Amino acid sequence: MENWEIVHVPDNPPIPPDQQPTVDVIASFVDPKVANTLVRRLNQIAQLENLRHVKRVKKKFVEGGRTQLSVILCLASEIGNPLESIPHDVQELMNSYQLSPFITKVCKYAALSKEEWEEQCKLWPTSYHPPTYNIDGITGFSEEDSQSVFGFMKYAIQLAKSGDKMVVNAAVIVDPSVKQVITTACDQTCPWYTPANNTTLETYCFEKTEASVSQSQSDGVFSYETLHSNSLPHFPKQLNTGVCCLYPWGWAEQQSDTNSCSWHPLRHAAIVAIESSAARDIHLFPSLGKIQDKYAETEHIHSSSVGSPAKRQKTHSTKVNDEAHLDSNDEGSSSLSVRPYLCTGFDIYLAWEPCIMCAMALVHQRIRRIFFAFPNPNAGALGTVHRLQGERSLNHHYAVFRVLVPEEVLSRDETAAAEYN
Amino acid sequence: MCIASLYFILLDMYPFFFFSFSYSGAKLALDSLEVPVGCVIVEDGKVIASGRNRTNETRNATRHAEMEAIDTLLEQWREKRLSTSEVAEIFSKCNLYVTCEPCIMCAAALSIVGIEEVFYGCANDKFGGCGSILSLHSSSSEALMSGGVPQGKGFKCTGGIMASEAVSLFRNFYEQGNPNAPKPHRPLTHQAIQ
Repeated sequence: MENWEIVHVPDNPPIPPDQQPTVDVIASFVDPKVANTLVRRLNQIAQLENLRHVKRVKKKFVEGGRTQLSVILCLASEIGNPLESIPHDVQELMNSYQLSPFITKVCKYAALSKEEWEEQCKLWPTSYHPPTYNIDGITGFSEEDSQSVFGFMKYAIQLAKSGDKMVVNAAVIVDPSVKQVITTACDQTCPWYTPANNTTLETYCFEKTEASVSQSQSDGVFSYETLHSNSLPHFPKQLNTGVCCLYPWGWAEQQSDTNSCSWHPLRHAAIVAIESSAARDIHLFPSLGKIQDKYAETEHIHSSSVGSPAKRQKTHSTKVNDEAHLDSNDEGSSSLSVRPYLCTGFDIYLAWEPCIMCAMALVHQRIRRIFFAFPNPNAGALGTVHRLQGERSLNHHYAVFRVLVPEEVLSRDETAAAEYN
Repeated sequence: MCIASLYFILLDMYPFFFFSFSYSGAKLALDSLEVPVGCVIVEDGKVIASGRNRTNETRNATRHAEMEAIDTLLEQWREKRLSTSEVAEIFSKCNLYVTCEPCIMCAAALSIVGIEEVFYGCANDKFGGCGSILSLHSSSSEALMSGGVPQGKGFKCTGGIMASEAVSLFRNFYEQGNPNAPKPHRPLTHQAIQ
């Protein structure tokens, strides 16, 4: 791979547009003058159940600038001769307009992409509605948004490599509306994992949340990179056995150090990130109601303005700072005033495609979009082994994207590591 | 003959006994304005952990009863400094009794830790991972190893035990309303009690 690229992973496995399933219908050429009346009557007596995406009328330009119209009369019966089992009402209509029926094919399912739709229309015209849930990115990314996606993915990959001994999976939860990192996490299933980096980063994120929303995303990512560029193991040549979404059942085979107290078979990066974002939510919004938040703020002013006389001068400056702090809070509150419900509106960047446990956890936590860099052939739940985004019964649906990472990004890091050593 | 049938009656009652513990967890969840699901984990006929839903309290929608119970156990075993293989060994002898079919996430988690058997109350039509939406308890059990890599563990699963009790708990919950659920996109229809 030479360039960054974002690929939407659709809800259903992509079907080659020319291999879409079809069904037979009974149609007839009609005189354009009577087409309207006919269609209206047909919609009453022979609705096309389950074929709402199929248009009733097909228009074809023929020689001499004339148009030829054909209309679907009804579905073709699958048993026996379809032309002999036309419903009585339709038969009457055919007789009165002297129509001669023929059997033709239409696509059985609504098109999922523009490409599929174009192919369908060659057979018989259909309508195409881009995905009903309106999630940014399904229909493409702007240059600015793409750059932001690449930046966050780069960060997730850096984190995945930041462990001491192994490559692990890493998660970065982002609020895309302000291009800001909400939290980060790495796999914590294994005894050898040391979460030291994570803590500092989390603190950094909290501070960032409260203070500098305005900091540009690219700057942010750059500083993260410099933070981490000193600890890069060889990648991706190394076996990725540390990535627990790849080997969810592998924990029992791991040699455990009984002195270590930090292993847990379910603490995959996404699960830890969700936990951390929930903790952040409680930290930022200790009480559930907005009114109570206001109360907390007034109390804060009150307590800081009552200083001991000896510290009066200092109190004064603190007060100014407090006001500035409050101002910035107010600015921030344009995005924070409504506490998001769980991770509604947030994106998550994962180095590897998550396993089914993590994928479902992200449904529960209401993540809006998932970006992953590397497919997970063993247990991937977003298109490889399972395709959770296609389970319509779930109460929440996210959009899934795979980010193709240029080879040079991965190898450059190796060189960086080599130089550093 | 008589003793034999008594034995079978007792055997049939066995799950119900543990279910009473699960249901008290679920009721506790309901009292705390949580989605009412409770569970217990049983080893050798002894309850060794219990859990109930804590999603609202923690603001973490993954804190289901099963995850809570598993975490309790892992915490205990970590304090005892058990090794990964010892932990895996105990999990493989544990049964879970839960008021509602484990969701896809929990079913996957139960498979990952390698639980022996699961008994549940009502089915979970929206998220169920033990037959309703996905069948994670059975799907991967045939191909346990692929190229030396563990590919998943199945577990025995029995549903429908005291299901009506579980359903009525849910009904109570949704009647009192989930205070933490987002505003519905469409206004709720307030049906008049007739």
